[in-house]
Amino acid sequence: MAATPHRLPLLWLLLPAGLLYGGLALYPLAGMLQMSLTEGWGHYAEVTQGRLLWRAATNTVAISLTTTAIALLLGYVLAAGLWRCGPATRALLLAFIMLPFWTAVLVKNFAWAALLQDNGVVNGLLQWAGLTTAPVTLLHNRLAVIIGMVHYVLPYAVFPIYTAMRGIDLRVERAARSLGAGTLALFWTVLLPLTMPGVLSAGLLAFIVSAGFYVTPVVLGSPSDMMVSNLVSYYVHELVDFNAAAALAMLILAAITPVIVLQQFASRGQHGGG
Amino acid sequence: MTVSGRSVEVRGLHKNYGPHLAVRDVSFHLQPGEFLTLLGPSGSGKTTTLMMVAGFEAPDRGEILVAGQDVAGLPPERRNFGVVFQGYALFPHMSVLENVAFPLRMRGLPGAEQRRRAGEMLEKVGLSAFAGRQPRQLSGGQQQRVALARALVFEPDALLLDEPLGALDRKLRESLQQEIKAIQRRVGISILFVTHDQDEAMGMSDRIAVMAEGRLVQLGSPAEVYLHPRTPFVAGFLGETNFLTGSFCGVADGLAVLRFADGSLGRARLPDGVAVPEQGGKALLSVRPERLRLLPDGPVAGVVESCTFLGRHARYVVQALGQSLALSTTEWSPGAALPAGAAVRLGWAAEDAQLLDG
Repeated sequence: MAATPHRLPLLWLLLPAGLLYGGLALYPLAGMLQMSLTEGWGHYAEVTQGRLLWRAATNTVAISLTTTAIALLLGYVLAAGLWRCGPATRALLLAFIMLPFWTAVLVKNFAWAALLQDNGVVNGLLQWAGLTTAPVTLLHNRLAVIIGMVHYVLPYAVFPIYTAMRGIDLRVERAARSLGAGTLALFWTVLLPLTMPGVLSAGLLAFIVSAGFYVTPVVLGSPSDMMVSNLVSYYVHELVDFNAAAALAMLILAAITPVIVLQQFASRGQHGGG
Repeated sequence: MTVSGRSVEVRGLHKNYGPHLAVRDVSFHLQPGEFLTLLGPSGSGKTTTLMMVAGFEAPDRGEILVAGQDVAGLPPERRNFGVVFQGYALFPHMSVLENVAFPLRMRGLPGAEQRRRAGEMLEKVGLSAFAGRQPRQLSGGQQQRVALARALVFEPDALLLDEPLGALDRKLRESLQQEIKAIQRRVGISILFVTHDQDEAMGMSDRIAVMAEGRLVQLGSPAEVYLHPRTPFVAGFLGETNFLTGSFCGVADGLAVLRFADGSLGRARLPDGVAVPEQGGKALLSVRPERLRLLPDGPVAGVVESCTFLGRHARYVVQALGQSLALSTTEWSPGAALPAGAAVRLGWAAEDAQLLDG
């Protein structure tokens, strides 16, 4: 027996995954690339003309950055809670974090719509508490979109941060205290720097997920909160211009790819650095 | 730099973990500039005791006094101890210099002053050339020295070391033991050291506190605890020993006299504080293998079971008094080794045997 045949069966094992990935992701993607180029760069020129793309792109960046920032803040607090609490509380917290993760996005969005509408629970509570006499408009605006998106993105923010926290040696923390660090100094000089790789990874992940939102701006937002994915839908459904939609989708893919690559590096660095 | 080490006194320390008593009534007084070791097997409460002194565990009862001031209510960051942990616990995101400067930064010293003092301290431990490195770029021994420098640079009241050499190989341990002793002599710091390694404790300490099952069972100089153990545990934990059981005949010339099962008589030291058994009662004594001798007119008869040459000494196992006794001797040559089955007579100097607390 030669030594080489040993390698071959391993490659064969990759075949199902390769077929699945090639057939269901790469092949359609190639088809879309072809569609977008049917008139040379013409479709690209078409979608980049006018203010529509600019508007959707700035919306996307603004909404995604806000969502990411809020999710990181809440996620850090939740991760710290998970890290420091007892096993029973941890199981409960995990359930509350994972529940939205397992729930369909439409269900979550309509639940928020029900909560935030003029005669919804939130307005009812506000009026019951005497904070307002008439219903406050909470739905079909950017606030509602961000609330719905933060709810969705939160688990993506919590887990990389939690992983980074679990990697911290208790003795390092104790060493800092014995050397004179109070709670605040401990946080700023030791805990935050040591969890930064997790925060970076979580932030990029939350941004990537946020930038691709499509349903939430439709259900909870107003037309002025249109994001890039909604613009693709606009080309498909309203203008029935599939080639332009394909060109737009390619542009979005090109824009988000560097962030995805960065995120991969960040999460890899997190495992190596602990 | 001369740190005048301060005294640390622990009085009646108690700690429970649920129904389990981790530390029971531990008291000792670390003198200024002294090297005191808490020695015991795992689970003996030595690390818990150290962590209570450092402030990471709250005692259920007891006092911790630094130069007479009770610090038991203070959080660790407000006690002024330099702690060195097992596994070093260096800050992985800081350079060596930043690690050593950290306690000075926490004390609000100006940046230039921090760097100057941290640099001086690194020079003392011979790591000036590594100031800009990250901890993970250093060897275990070098990391250990950085941890020591970091714990000493702020002139603490005492150094607390929790099995600091546990992860290193033997050669390196020995050289670092010498180094820690040398640093201590140079700066005069008080050291409370925790280890399960009796050789380490013997070689470094001014005094050793032997701990077992949460209690401090004996406290004394290395020679005292080795030569005059009070209990079977201390006798067995520090080095090797032979336990001999006999019936107590009384005290003659300040020495205990025992009668063994074969009718022979043996004498042993009667240490202060050991309960004297009643006449005819069961008594236990300990004789170290190197103190047990082959004597032509020894009182105890025995038969050689085996002889092993170990380089530094030869070790005989002799069947006597109904048990196997270990005997080590440096008076050995290939030609004069006693074969298995040879009849011998054994004895010991009375002051080399200890009556133990049964």
